[in-house]
Amino acid sequence: MEGTTIAGPPRPLVKSFVDQARRTPEATALVWRGHSVGYGALLARAERERDRMAALPAGAPAALPAVKSPGTIALILGCLLARRPLLLPSPALGADVTERLYEQAGVGHVLAPGRPPAARRSPTVDLSGNALLLTTSGSTGLPKIVPLSSTALDQFVTWAAGAFGIGPGTTVLNYAPLNFDVCLLDVWTTLARGGRVVLVDAERVTDGGRLLALVERERPEVVQSVPMFYRLLADAARAGGRTLPSVRHAVFTGDTMPVPVVAALPGLLPHARLYNVYGCTETNDSFLYELRGTPDPARPLPLGQPLPGVEALLVDAEGRVLDGPGSGELYVSTPFQSEGYLGAAAASGAFVPHPEGADDRRWFRSGDLVRRSPDGTLTLVGRTDFQVKILGVRVNPQEVEHLLLAHPDVTEAAVRAVPDPAAGHTLRAVARRRPGSRLNSLSLRGHLAQRLSRAAIPAALLITDEPLPRTATGKVDRERAGHVHFTEES
Amino acid sequence: MPYAQAIKEFVVEEFLPDVSPAELDADYDLLANGVIDSLGLLKVIAWIEDRYGIDTDTVELRPESFHTVAAIDAFVTRASYRRTKGA
Repeated sequence: MEGTTIAGPPRPLVKSFVDQARRTPEATALVWRGHSVGYGALLARAERERDRMAALPAGAPAALPAVKSPGTIALILGCLLARRPLLLPSPALGADVTERLYEQAGVGHVLAPGRPPAARRSPTVDLSGNALLLTTSGSTGLPKIVPLSSTALDQFVTWAAGAFGIGPGTTVLNYAPLNFDVCLLDVWTTLARGGRVVLVDAERVTDGGRLLALVERERPEVVQSVPMFYRLLADAARAGGRTLPSVRHAVFTGDTMPVPVVAALPGLLPHARLYNVYGCTETNDSFLYELRGTPDPARPLPLGQPLPGVEALLVDAEGRVLDGPGSGELYVSTPFQSEGYLGAAAASGAFVPHPEGADDRRWFRSGDLVRRSPDGTLTLVGRTDFQVKILGVRVNPQEVEHLLLAHPDVTEAAVRAVPDPAAGHTLRAVARRRPGSRLNSLSLRGHLAQRLSRAAIPAALLITDEPLPRTATGKVDRERAGHVHFTEES
Repeated sequence: MPYAQAIKEFVVEEFLPDVSPAELDADYDLLANGVIDSLGLLKVIAWIEDRYGIDTDTVELRPESFHTVAAIDAFVTRASYRRTKGA
């Protein structure tokens, strides 16, 4: 990362975009299904969208299901131009869930590209100052609504553009759906700085061959994605020994990066600096770790350094701030964070004052259990709420999963704790081995036994050659992996 | 090791469903590698009693006696010998 500091008020995102469009209207803003959309054309569409919603009351939130397309991006820009708070739910949510989200956010109008706003009910709330209302991607229950202020977006853009050298003409790949926070980097930072966004079609996200062809053709310099994307690219590239020399910065985020995929990246992306980013929708990117050399496969990647302006605390089970080595829940406070959830989740207690009253910042309880080693390195251990007791020993299934993924022959792993009448809980693990590997569960147990207490070694550990089931966001679906590989009786 | 094959078959069927008996080395540490925990140990002992007619109440049970297939084999061998002598 280049040393970027956040000093003075940052340039507003949408103003920067308008400036770019006026200066270089012919420059390409978006690449979508083989076609280019210029900055001038995108601004014209955004202004038409802004005008269509001119009659809506100030500060009243609108909603737009985030179907990926240039039309959706123009409409989001139109909302930014109009200072209209915009809820961006995933288009994959069911109608009931979507309706409940609209209710909780107080959405008055539902938007669609090229159409007048559809009134849902008379708006009752004023969310002025908020730009985007994103949602968390929890697998159960109602997603939480995370409002992000325009100031938070502007500060994020300032950091991201500096850190990854995004300026006029820089090509950036956008893999994630538009409702994801990572689009602040891929899409919004790029458009604010005059770069070129190559949008990956939602229907093509698991087709490694097509992804490889897209990257070869469009030559992005900056790529950010979940580990699955890199695995798909690496698998597709291996056969032909193909490389992707255009990429200068490759960022991965959102999930544990399997060791074989990390090992494949220097060959696949010979000119890229590689980064692991830690962050969540509530705080946005918080830590950045740049990989240098081959990482130690036996250890998870460190969180790295806090971004400029980001503060972090480790808080132990008694609510005390840990200053030295040890494990605790990570509290984060960032310049890009939300002020708190909307709706019922506002009372969740996730946004809190400093636990010892040491400052006036608003802190976000990440729910992530993080370990600080004696040299100060921070590593993610797992989720605080995933801890279970097995025969009286506190065990974190995610730590076991990280260790399975650290085995050189393991490409995917899922570990799940299930209640057990005798032991309290018991762990069930499934690991997919590298094609051609002769790994069996006996040697994989030996790998775990060297690094874990005995209670944390899964009672049931199966090796498979099949891909593990994944969620819509590309993460291993532990629940379904459990159902596929273990009958309820076993 | 007269009982090793039968012990391997039992351990694999009960605790290692994706492994074949031939893959399980007689010296593989079943306890250290988490194949058999304290509850699993009870299953092993019940099986030994049932299969070999050994009354484990009369012999000293130590976890080390069950940490490998070879150790279980030795345990069964000793217990059977004692039973034969005592009968």
